Amino acid sequence: MSRDFHWLPNIPNIRKMNAFKRDKKEDEDGSNQFQNLEKTTVLQEARTFNDTPVNPRKCAHILTKILYLLNQGEQLGTTEATETFFAMTKLFQSRDVVLRRLVYLGIKELSSIAEDVIIVTSSLTKDMTGKEDLYRAAAIRALCTITDGAMLAAIERYMKQAIVDRSAAVSSAALVSSLHLTTVSGDVARRWANEAQEALNSDNVMVQYHALGVLYQARKSDKHAVIKLVAKLMRSSPKSSYAACMLIRMACKLVEEVDEGSEFLEFIESCIRHKSEMVVYEAAHALVNLGRSGTREIASAVSVLQLFSGSPKPTLRFAAVRTLNKVAMSHPAAVIACNLDLENLITDSNRSIATLAITTLLKTGAESSVDRLMKQIATFVSEISDEFKVVVVQAIRALCQKFPRKHAVLMNFLAAMLRDEGGLEYKAAIVDTIIAVMEGNVEAKEAGLAHLCEFIEDCEHTSLAVRILHLLGQEGPTSKQPSRYIRFIYNRVILESASVRAAAVTALAHFAAACPALLPNILVLLSRCQLDFDDEVRDRATYYCTILQQNADPAILPLVQPPQLSIPSLERALRNYVRSPMDEEFDISQIPPAQAIEEPAQEVLATVKPQQPRLTREENFMEKLLQVPELSAIIHDSILFKSSTVFELTESETEYNVKCIKHCFSDYLILQFDCLNTLSDQFLEDVRVTVDNQDIYTIVCEVPCVRLPYNELGSTYTVLKFPEDIQSTIITLPTTLRFIAHDCDPSTGIPDAEQGYGDEYTLEDLEITVRDQVRGTGSRNVDFSSSWENAATRGFVTTEQIFGLGANVTTLEEAIQSLVMFLGLEPVERSDRIKSGARQHTLLLTGVFRGGKEVLARAKLVLTNHVTMQFTVRSQDLEVAELMISSVG
Amino acid sequence: MMGLFDHLANFVGLRKKQVNVLVVGLNNSGKSTVINHFKNQNERCTDIIPTIGFSVEKFAFKNIGFTAFDMSGQDRYRSLWEHYYKGCHGIIFIVDSNDKLRIVVVKEELDMLLQHPEIAGQKLPILFLANKIDLPNSLTTINLVTCLGLDKIQNKPWHIQATNAITGDGLQTAIEWLTDQIRDIHINRR
Ligand SMILES: Nc1nc2c(ncn2[C@@H]2O[C@H](COP(=O)(O)OP(=O)(O)O)[C@@H](O)[C@H]2O)c(=O)[nH]1
Ligand SMILES: [Mg+2]
Repeated sequence: MSRDFHWLPNIPNIRKMNAFKRDKKEDEDGSNQFQNLEKTTVLQEARTFNDTPVNPRKCAHILTKILYLLNQGEQLGTTEATETFFAMTKLFQSRDVVLRRLVYLGIKELSSIAEDVIIVTSSLTKDMTGKEDLYRAAAIRALCTITDGAMLAAIERYMKQAIVDRSAAVSSAALVSSLHLTTVSGDVARRWANEAQEALNSDNVMVQYHALGVLYQARKSDKHAVIKLVAKLMRSSPKSSYAACMLIRMACKLVEEVDEGSEFLEFIESCIRHKSEMVVYEAAHALVNLGRSGTREIASAVSVLQLFSGSPKPTLRFAAVRTLNKVAMSHPAAVIACNLDLENLITDSNRSIATLAITTLLKTGAESSVDRLMKQIATFVSEISDEFKVVVVQAIRALCQKFPRKHAVLMNFLAAMLRDEGGLEYKAAIVDTIIAVMEGNVEAKEAGLAHLCEFIEDCEHTSLAVRILHLLGQEGPTSKQPSRYIRFIYNRVILESASVRAAAVTALAHFAAACPALLPNILVLLSRCQLDFDDEVRDRATYYCTILQQNADPAILPLVQPPQLSIPSLERALRNYVRSPMDEEFDISQIPPAQAIEEPAQEVLATVKPQQPRLTREENFMEKLLQVPELSAIIHDSILFKSSTVFELTESETEYNVKCIKHCFSDYLILQFDCLNTLSDQFLEDVRVTVDNQDIYTIVCEVPCVRLPYNELGSTYTVLKFPEDIQSTIITLPTTLRFIAHDCDPSTGIPDAEQGYGDEYTLEDLEITVRDQVRGTGSRNVDFSSSWENAATRGFVTTEQIFGLGANVTTLEEAIQSLVMFLGLEPVERSDRIKSGARQHTLLLTGVFRGGKEVLARAKLVLTNHVTMQFTVRSQDLEVAELMISSVG
Repeated sequence: MMGLFDHLANFVGLRKKQVNVLVVGLNNSGKSTVINHFKNQNERCTDIIPTIGFSVEKFAFKNIGFTAFDMSGQDRYRSLWEHYYKGCHGIIFIVDSNDKLRIVVVKEELDMLLQHPEIAGQKLPILFLANKIDLPNSLTTINLVTCLGLDKIQNKPWHIQATNAITGDGLQTAIEWLTDQIRDIHINRR
């Protein structure tokens, strides 16, 4: 869009020039003539397009208004859009160049909303093949937006011609459009590859680049063809720097995918000596990001970046220091060589460069330089944009992890930043960091809570205030002096919006439940909240008052702080329960926990994403499974207990690609097989994966995938019933892909008339593990020791065994990781984190086995030469407990 | 001298009048071939391929500039003709007089056109071309008048002419009739 707009002032058209001048004058008055446009009025004006003869000047003005509105985000309905579109097609009768180019833009904007847009196909093909050069490239771009699968054949001939056209603009437009058209029909690029190959020899740098893009698209799914393409071009080295950069990216991908990729790595390294800076940078950037690069490659890349960081061009300096900043995470030692150059950039007049330089130094520097660098940042932190402030915050977060002793300096700095101006994302990054520092360092907790309290006194972001109040409710009661937080929290009740007040009420209740000494005072405060005029606040206050008054026993804690369950599943289960005779008590343990928002553990560079409530992975799958009638008949009353991760049953680059997901219900296991047929000359029918049940599982049903055309994903399902004997659920099952194949014409995908033939294809074995049948409870603050002690009274049985872990497990961290991985239980009380240097550790695990059977486990680990483990499991079900034990051995 | 004359002509209102005509008919009846023939020798295109949607063509005759909307006659596009009814000064309706099989379809489309609100009340000249008369066993114009019920057309001047769009036979007389009609109805009246 913008590309075409930039074009306009260049058109040698006096009338346009005048119009342009006048616009400028209006701009100086500070008024934008498009500012107060009204959609209905403008669309009314668009009727002028129907007048004969066309008034180009007037129509261009109206069309510009329409485009302006659309780009401001105004939505048109289908009828409005269609009416406007057809009126606009009348403008093809005018030969005014400016107007015609605006019409192309209009076509592109409306093509996805209006109906019957293919009406302009002939008009556009006429323009793209016509004499007027100003039309040709733009007409191609417009044409490709209105072309659907059915129309593709009609324009194919023109597109092929345009790709090899002498005009570079036309050729580029056609090449780029072919890439866009791959969404309409997957094999466009392959069908036009001959023409693209010819365009690759063009003298024009853009054409060469775009041609390479199309050729890659054409071969993408055939790795050998890609290897051949890259290998050939590596030798001749493209003239176009853009193409060279793209070639480097393709080579990178091959280095990661192909076992014997050393020639590609060598090629990338050789590009470091290319004459174009862009290519050199691309190569350096590639080398530092490649997993396969060794010290030598990293060093040569870093030396180039070092050179660039002293360039007079700000873009090069920026690119270099930004990349060094990233390398500092993975290869800090390599970046230390640049420290002197980075020091020079600290005072760079471009603040973005300075910020990146400092944060890089913070990552590589010694503890002693932290204070100096922090002071330096403080001098200009107010001048940089939020985006870079976030970079600074992330660097501080990394520093806190690296130098825990520096937390006081860093915490103060964070607190100062918190007081500064800044948007939500920036503030959220600071709060996240403060919380992370508190979590990692007990000493920082009091100071952190104090800073956060100060922050919510004057915080304009509701979402942050709510989060902090929640945190205060969690952490405040166990601090040295819980009472000091009450005032901060109660102030919120008086001063803030309803959602903040509600959060404050909940936080107060947490204090009251955990600190009996505070209970009487908080009850007074809560009773005042019962008069709040917001329903939610009042309801919460009433609820807490009632349960807190009833009983001063610590058992009420779960009522104040219920486990975070998945709301959609809870709703579904309650609905089913109400429909049942309700003889038994409602079993809440069946409800899966709400999707925990996974925090990037050590990945400091992770961007801060807006956190939104969402369906759990299981709930998403469940909705899809329920849409398959055969499956819905079996599972509509059940809850999907757990879905496994996706795993491949085929090697990559085979003719058929099959991936599997195991969906575990309390009595059934649904195997979802996602199949892809990569043979363009085959059309498959009745595709199924047969599972050899070894006479242990019962096969309840198979839902075949009825038709599987080339390159489209199709799913088939097999439903298994778990055997009664829990021990025998752990098994390896051979699987086979079976289907009816039809040969078909690769260009159309239409199968030959002949009868298909049955065929089969052996897949990898499928394993069913403990992990598939177990999940965590998702309640963060489980009091493990009381559950553990009280287990016997709740009818739990205990089994225990001592293990010496295998030679491949040599550290406590590894032991913990593999145990958690293997069993699918969830570590609680942060017991999966161990003090560095510790030689013994106790890991506490909780979870639920399918069917809602609770499991508690304790692993006492001792490190000598190898790791010894005393493993104790308590469960309501002896068989489940034994399964846990036996599967570890 | 030329420049001056142009200017004067403009001034006294002799400038070429611009009119729009709609060219419709089933696919393959010869619409694009007919229009191509009206154009100047040097603007004609040599190979005519099926139109997708529509194409705007220009030609001049007797000091009137014609803008012709050459509509696609394929099934899928016929329902879109109506978008272009508004504001047109005349209609050229082309029939393949050799395509007896589809003559009922032609009648259906014609009736729909005549009943359309944008057309029904208008005094619009309609030129029927019985094209491809060079082919053996073609319907005559008299046959067509009865088959299509042209004699029942009210309030609209119409004319039927047998043509061969490849050689151009009949086209001259036909366009002359249309030009005169449009001049009478739209230009002289103003
Ligand atoms: N024999 C003959 N063929 C014609 C005549 N007019 C057109 N054609 C042919 O009929 C075919 C369709 O013509 P075209 O102009 O594309 O029809 P349209 O679909 O109505 O635009 C072309 O192959 C023309 O050469 C005619 O008068 N006589
Ligand atoms: Mg045509």
